[in-house]
Amino acid sequence: MKVLIVEDNNDLARNIQEFLQHEGYVSELSSNCKEAEEKLNSFQYDCVVLDIMLPDGSGLSLLEKIKEQKIKTNVLIISAKNSLDDKIYGLDKGADDYLTKPFHLSELNARLKAIYRRNALEGDSTVSFNEIVLNTTSMEARVHGTALDLTKKEFDLLLYFLINKNRILTRQSLAEHLWGDYTDNLANFDFVYQHVKNLRKKIASARGNDYIGTVYGIGYKFDTNI
Amino acid sequence: MKLINRLTLWYLAITTFVLLASGIIVFYRVQAEIENEVQTRLKRDIDYTAQLLGDGLSVDSVQGNQIEIKEISMTAAIIPLKVTDSMGVYSPYRRALDRKFTVASSHKINGKHYYISAYNFIAEPDEILEGIIASLTVTLLILLLFVAVTSRQMSKQILSNFNRTLKTIQGFDLKQKNRIKLAETRTYEFKELNQFLEKMTNRALDDYRSLKEFSENASHELQTPLAIIRGKLELLLETHIDEKQASLIEGIQNAVQKLSSINQSLVLLTKLENQEYPVKEKMDVSTFVRRSIDSFRELIEMKSISLTTEINPDIHLNLNPFVADILLTNLLSNAIRHNFMNGSIEVVLTSSGLSVKNTGDPPKVNTQELFKRFKKDKQSSESTGLGLAIVKQICDLNNFKVAYEFANGFHELKIDFPTNKKTSNSPQSVS
Repeated sequence: MKVLIVEDNNDLARNIQEFLQHEGYVSELSSNCKEAEEKLNSFQYDCVVLDIMLPDGSGLSLLEKIKEQKIKTNVLIISAKNSLDDKIYGLDKGADDYLTKPFHLSELNARLKAIYRRNALEGDSTVSFNEIVLNTTSMEARVHGTALDLTKKEFDLLLYFLINKNRILTRQSLAEHLWGDYTDNLANFDFVYQHVKNLRKKIASARGNDYIGTVYGIGYKFDTNI
Repeated sequence: MKLINRLTLWYLAITTFVLLASGIIVFYRVQAEIENEVQTRLKRDIDYTAQLLGDGLSVDSVQGNQIEIKEISMTAAIIPLKVTDSMGVYSPYRRALDRKFTVASSHKINGKHYYISAYNFIAEPDEILEGIIASLTVTLLILLLFVAVTSRQMSKQILSNFNRTLKTIQGFDLKQKNRIKLAETRTYEFKELNQFLEKMTNRALDDYRSLKEFSENASHELQTPLAIIRGKLELLLETHIDEKQASLIEGIQNAVQKLSSINQSLVLLTKLENQEYPVKEKMDVSTFVRRSIDSFRELIEMKSISLTTEINPDIHLNLNPFVADILLTNLLSNAIRHNFMNGSIEVVLTSSGLSVKNTGDPPKVNTQELFKRFKKDKQSSESTGLGLAIVKQICDLNNFKVAYEFANGFHELKIDFPTNKKTSNSPQSVS
């Protein structure tokens, strides 16, 4: 996947770029609207990670241009502005998703992959690894062909693990992924532990490998090298 | 006491004093004038009588109406003038006791010595006094009437500028965008007052604005570095680290997380204060509350909390949906976070208000204090201490009344909707 990161803060852009590199994505940086527009006109990108507040204008105007000129790409807006209007306006103008700063890079990864699945892979809604196959449309999970009886949260959790394979996912990032705005409520992350435990049990009962392991007590990792 | 009343009272006191003094002066002046006049006239009568006697007329023909002539011895000394003023003499004309004013003098005419006295009945001093008192009382009454009628008008006229200034100042709010404009006035004192007020409010507005801008910018500028730290920490986790380093990173991450949620709350508070969330239309609060509760159901179940709800249908309010979401999220998360395992939560929504009750430890500080920013019941707790400040801010903006009470082991946050919006929830149709 080829990604254009439009973000005026160099450090932030580099963080994203470095993270996506591990994922095997090719990513390029633009720090303003003008540069981004030139790049979009010359090259093809699968997705644009677009900041709204840019030195030479709003990212929303760039989004409008992308839609006007029918440039074939997906747009994920990232913005510090957590105003509902911005979000609604952005999605209204044809952005594929919206992420509020600060976000976990693993969350950005999950969102990008979801967009990619929806659009670039033309509706291929399966995510799989070895014996595990997830259908993101029907929300069905199979291990060795046996359907798992997963709750919605457990399904989300497994999908998140599959997308962020071999990465340490902190309990915080998992909690935020599962409960979003309500994470503040989880004074401790025992709930994450409960969900992961249940998920592992269900995978094991279908004779699947136990890929998910704890890491130093700070989080979990879907380890493909077992 | 109103200024005009104070002035009127002073005015009346002075007037009464002046009227009293002038009454005394008038009394003595009138008295003296009358006596003087009567004396002159009687003296003239005596002189005329003496002249008639000198012309040879008999005593009897001259004597009569208020003139008495007595012959005295020639050797007696001439009496030039004798004035007697006697009260309580019977007056045949008025058939009552009266004041008799007598002037007498003796004259030697044609070898005879006549003592001629002339008298008249004149007004008694208490009669004069009565007259004066009566006329002054009427004067005072006319004055009173006049003052009463005109003072209100006068005060309106004179104090109109002052009242306008007062009204402007009462409506002054530090959060307002425009400077206050006070009406022109020609009165020196009011002009000075207006100048002072304009200077003072402008200064306050400027100070408030720059302070607000500073805190706005500060919280906004903090967001980016926080996001960078978060990202770098995540990348750091991906490198080869040992357990010690991992737990250090986790510690930093948690602190950064807390920092950024405090920051987001502050930004939100500022936005609320700046009224960046306009109310566009009425929203269906009943459905909204039900939906919010649903999104929390899992968290409620995780703590095995029993939930009771009583939500009246079709309650509509003028509220921004984003703001409503924040309000409910804050209320419900507090009710869950500060609850026990196996505790309970009770949510009641009626047309008059919303109440969220939950079990929990009794508060250690005054519950009203908790609406202040960064006030927490437990200083060590995970919360930012801004949740209730946000709730309060939202309620203030929408003219809702909010109260926090603790009774019988239940924390209750009660929001009263303004009553004048009755039109919004017309006859309830149970759906």
